[in-house]
Amino acid sequence: MFSVGRYSIPRPVTRNLEDLDSVQSILLHSDLEPEWLDSVQKNGELFYLELSEGEEETLLQDSSSEVPAVNHVRFRENEAEVIQEGSRKERKYEPRLKKITKILKKKSLLPKHSGKKGTGGSDGHPSGPTSILKHQSTQKVGVIVQQRYKDVCVYVNPKRLPNDGAGEKLKLLEALVGIVHQSSWSSRRAEKQGEQDRSNKGINEEKLVVHGLVPCSSAIKTGQILIGDALVAVNDVDVNAENIERVLSCIPGPMQVKLTFETSVFEHEGTSQQRYKQAQSAMNNLVRLLWGEDNMDLQLAIQGMPHIVMYLTLKLDSETSKDEQEILYQYPISEASQKLKSVRGIFLTLCDMLENVTGAHIISSSLFLCGKLVQVVYCKESDKLLVIGLPAESVPLSQLRNMITDVVRTLKFMYGSLDSAFCQVENVSRLDHFFNLFFQRAIQPARLHSNASPSAQHYDSCSALFLDNLPGVRWLTLAQEIKSEDYYDMRRLYMILGSCLFYKGYLIGNHLPNEDLIDIALYSRHYCLLPLAAEQRIGQLVIWREVFPHHHLQPSDASGVTGYREPEARYFLLIVGLRHFMLCVLLETGGCTSKAIGNPGPDCVYVDQVKATILQLEGIDSSIEERLESPAIPCLSCADWFLPASRDKLESFTTPPILSKLQNTSKTATSPTSKRRHFTDSSLRTRKPSPSRSSGGSDNGSEGPEEGGGLNLLATVDQVRKHERKESQGFGGSEGSGSLFKVTKKKHTLPNPFHLGNLKKNLSEKDTELYNAVKLTSGPENTLFHYISLETMQGIFITPTHKEVQQLSGSIHPQLIKNFHRCCLSIRSIFQQAVMKEKKKNADSGSNSDSRKASSDLNLVREHGVLFECSPDNWTDQKKPPPTMTYWVVGLSFGVSAAPAIFHRMYEAYAIGR
Amino acid sequence: MGEEGGGSVTLLCLTASSGVPLFCRSMGAPSKHQLPFSVIGSLNGVHMFGANLDVLLTAACTANSHVVWRVFHNSITLIVLSSEEGASDFALGRLLDNAFSAMVLILGLEELVNVRNIERLKKDLRVSGGIGECLEAFAGAAESRFGCLVAGGRLALATEPWWQLAPQELLLLSWLVGSLPPHAARDYPIYLPHGSPTVPHRLLTCQLLPGLEACLICGPRPALHTVETELVPRFWKPLLEPLQACVNPQPHSLPPGTTLPPGVLAFLLIHREQRSSQSSVQPPGSGGEGLSPKHRARALRHFYALVAARYFPWEGSPAPPQEPFQAGFPHRARHCYVVSATHKAYAIHAPQHQLFLLLAPHVPTFALRPLAARALQRLTGDAAC
Repeated sequence: MFSVGRYSIPRPVTRNLEDLDSVQSILLHSDLEPEWLDSVQKNGELFYLELSEGEEETLLQDSSSEVPAVNHVRFRENEAEVIQEGSRKERKYEPRLKKITKILKKKSLLPKHSGKKGTGGSDGHPSGPTSILKHQSTQKVGVIVQQRYKDVCVYVNPKRLPNDGAGEKLKLLEALVGIVHQSSWSSRRAEKQGEQDRSNKGINEEKLVVHGLVPCSSAIKTGQILIGDALVAVNDVDVNAENIERVLSCIPGPMQVKLTFETSVFEHEGTSQQRYKQAQSAMNNLVRLLWGEDNMDLQLAIQGMPHIVMYLTLKLDSETSKDEQEILYQYPISEASQKLKSVRGIFLTLCDMLENVTGAHIISSSLFLCGKLVQVVYCKESDKLLVIGLPAESVPLSQLRNMITDVVRTLKFMYGSLDSAFCQVENVSRLDHFFNLFFQRAIQPARLHSNASPSAQHYDSCSALFLDNLPGVRWLTLAQEIKSEDYYDMRRLYMILGSCLFYKGYLIGNHLPNEDLIDIALYSRHYCLLPLAAEQRIGQLVIWREVFPHHHLQPSDASGVTGYREPEARYFLLIVGLRHFMLCVLLETGGCTSKAIGNPGPDCVYVDQVKATILQLEGIDSSIEERLESPAIPCLSCADWFLPASRDKLESFTTPPILSKLQNTSKTATSPTSKRRHFTDSSLRTRKPSPSRSSGGSDNGSEGPEEGGGLNLLATVDQVRKHERKESQGFGGSEGSGSLFKVTKKKHTLPNPFHLGNLKKNLSEKDTELYNAVKLTSGPENTLFHYISLETMQGIFITPTHKEVQQLSGSIHPQLIKNFHRCCLSIRSIFQQAVMKEKKKNADSGSNSDSRKASSDLNLVREHGVLFECSPDNWTDQKKPPPTMTYWVVGLSFGVSAAPAIFHRMYEAYAIGR
Repeated sequence: MGEEGGGSVTLLCLTASSGVPLFCRSMGAPSKHQLPFSVIGSLNGVHMFGANLDVLLTAACTANSHVVWRVFHNSITLIVLSSEEGASDFALGRLLDNAFSAMVLILGLEELVNVRNIERLKKDLRVSGGIGECLEAFAGAAESRFGCLVAGGRLALATEPWWQLAPQELLLLSWLVGSLPPHAARDYPIYLPHGSPTVPHRLLTCQLLPGLEACLICGPRPALHTVETELVPRFWKPLLEPLQACVNPQPHSLPPGTTLPPGVLAFLLIHREQRSSQSSVQPPGSGGEGLSPKHRARALRHFYALVAARYFPWEGSPAPPQEPFQAGFPHRARHCYVVSATHKAYAIHAPQHQLFLLLAPHVPTFALRPLAARALQRLTGDAAC
């Protein structure tokens, strides 16, 4: 399997080298050293996150109430705050300030900016802006506590300026923005100068205090600029009386300009930022968590919840009877967790005793404490025991079992083994960080997502629990138009095993073996990187660390079959994020490349190459966006359309195909035949996947299990891909604007790296069949509410995008989606049981007692469905009973019997009228 | 009935305060599963340790077995350790509930709550062990059989007041009658776990025919002798003929003439209001196809436990302390189906009934729903389903 991934990496594409060079030269020669370099820790690890300008501001502004001076300066200097993981060791978070990258400078509005940097340096601060900031922060803290900063966006149009009197001073500020500043008012000057001295400012730079506002100007229209405020920055460029005109004259055309004011008015500032806060706080929470800042707000919210993670040793040294010596690690240390900690004896005893009695490891137990049911899951390795406890109301048990598996896998990926993760002192703070994120995600997923619309947020929070534990990543069904291997031509210090590319949290390209992909996806998930990239434009994200991919390090049986042995090597993970893109690269050293010695840090060359690749990909983000915005082809319907209470709202919807379909439904719904519709559907759907199953089976027969697995995987992937292609074509046909998209897609699917010669014929046959089976449901109306399709072999799942879900708003629909995900939890746990049974059966297939076989067969569930009924919440009509709507949630599991590893499931929810 | 799962079930009963073992019953593989005293001790010890710290341990599971703890009235701790396949916290919780009620039925609540003489209690409980075993056998399909005129362990006929007993009591009474050693007539003191847990009543049974018994719950008045010599001949003599037909071994509890749609391998019908149920693993027309009756019963029980634990609203005996899974669903589940390698299963939650069907794998999935609706119609004689 892995060999497929490895050999499928094409050679570098030379035609792009010139582009590459140009981009690279920007990167390489712009700054002398990359800004993340200082963050590299002693052991070579790096976790560097920097938001893009816009995000940074709102974030900083939000936090400005706490440490105003620091934020202010950093903000004006256009600096990004960086908190490195290494500094967390001291559990003290000292902000480090870094130079902004050229990329961001390029994007900055005013050309003056870079020039200004130079003057900043010539002001007599040889150590650069960082030292200024440090001085300031130490001096200013406590002195000017009352200073606040606010951003006001105003619209300016230089083309509407009157042409006369161009020579007059400060004209632009008045004419363009509408702010009156009288430089001759020198009464406050002395005082101001004194202030500026303290802040290491030039003496002749006068503060731009607002003395008046021009009627009908953009400034007065905002209602947020008050007389007495001082203008300190325009689009993040520091301004003063001297340079303001120059700065404003650089505005080329009509645009929004952000003005930053220093203000001392508290109340007003509070209200103006309130809105900002609400929209931004959730994401801020996430970013702050990532930066490792203590967030009391978040901590307090989960404090009452009993939750804990402990790493215990079963072997006790009776000599040293130290208190709590069996606890090797625990998090968090709060009151509710204290109770769980105090009963660790239960966990240890249960683990020991039940293993003796039943001969199997303990999996879980349930406890009642503080009036809450708490589920505890275990993972035992040699004589150590990892215990995670969470309340059942947040996480159902079946889910928690998956979560601990994921945690263990991620920790092993990061540290090699649980022992090395938990038993080394220097890891403690990192693990605290890791589990802080883990519990925040588990207990309050909604607070880490900050989607603008509540419906999307709801979707996030109710699906998070389920989706987070699928062994796969959300895959956006795009054609393979991305060639992320473009940058492979480099001197091999490291060999690149493969890479995968995410856009806004959707996987769009992958050249990694499945196992590695899942490892990386789990890592990114635990560090919330995917939602981060989805919602914010990352200024720059560089992560570098040694990893231990379970797939490469484990002596797998597979390698024995092919006669290929994994080289003894070390592996490194490099993740580079830029804007909404995130490119993860897995590197190998040793083996066929030079051996790594010690703890190598990230190599600039690699980081820059990856960055260059992302920059090259810039062009495609518009097409990806287009795909995200476009309606899905398995056309989704909104549950509320099917209830008469909301029918009058229908007029507001502007999607004619759905509407007509809807009317169709409501008419036929009353007929008795509608009852049967559901099952005709499912028969159709079960027919659809059969080609892949049968082909997998035949391959199995001829080429041995491992090969067959690989081929079957390809078949399924192709099937899915074909399926999607068909969909996009359908889309293109229905809407003219989509046709361009269609063409590019079609063209690009052809050089599919997964195509293998011997499969091609089968595939074309399959094609035709698939083309007939686009609809996931059948009948005249294709009523599908929601779907998830998981392909564990590839480690991907497909589900409607946030945009699609957002479009379907209503009162019932969010409930339905929540219900769907809840049901999926149940369905998945049943399927997981089936898989476990299957594996067990395969393991002891030698002892073939008939009764045993038959009895274990009972639980091999292939398909499972539940019919739900719902009615509107607030039914006011007393005479009539509320109308009800019924819909099915159906889960299908494919290919369980073909080979245990091939396991494709599909969950769907779709409706029938009543 | 539970044996062929390959697992075993062990039921432990201890006093909650001191941890003195009262009895230990196990079934399944007996040689392996005589739990050593140390294990019993630590199973209870773990629970007591937690209780002292205000942490109540309720369940634990390993890859192959489940353990459930439950304390009743702060005096009796019941622990069940099951390695049966398909055992769930749900089923085991019901088992413990029924086991405790069985103890109440025979001994009265008073005796159990205020344990004065442990040795005597131990002796008394030996009797109830019989029910315990019976209970275990029915663990999965709890609530399934009730009776007053008990024919072969099933209730054939009952008076209106009898039906108003709690479902659990009905169930336990019929199990009790079935598990007592055969006699022509008995007079047995019982406590009703829900109706009168402290005041004993008399359970009178008279054997009318082999395999057919008439039961009465009464106060002190009619003496057993009176019933046996006067009442029984007077009322039942004329009916002996039809009763005889009733006792004839019937693999299903359907009135004659009822046919089920083809492909139905087994069914369980619960009358929700009446709190009674009918079931069969060999309904007419099912033939010998597919699974053996034993496997059908297992599969049906497994399906029932799955659906009842996850989707359908809680019915019957008091809900367990655990938050039921179905509370998390904003919408109500009405139907449910499962397709597995060897069979298909379908469940309907109708206003008055719950129907669980086991169907042959050749029945097409899309036909399950109409077929189940028809089966429900035929079984209930009700056109409104």
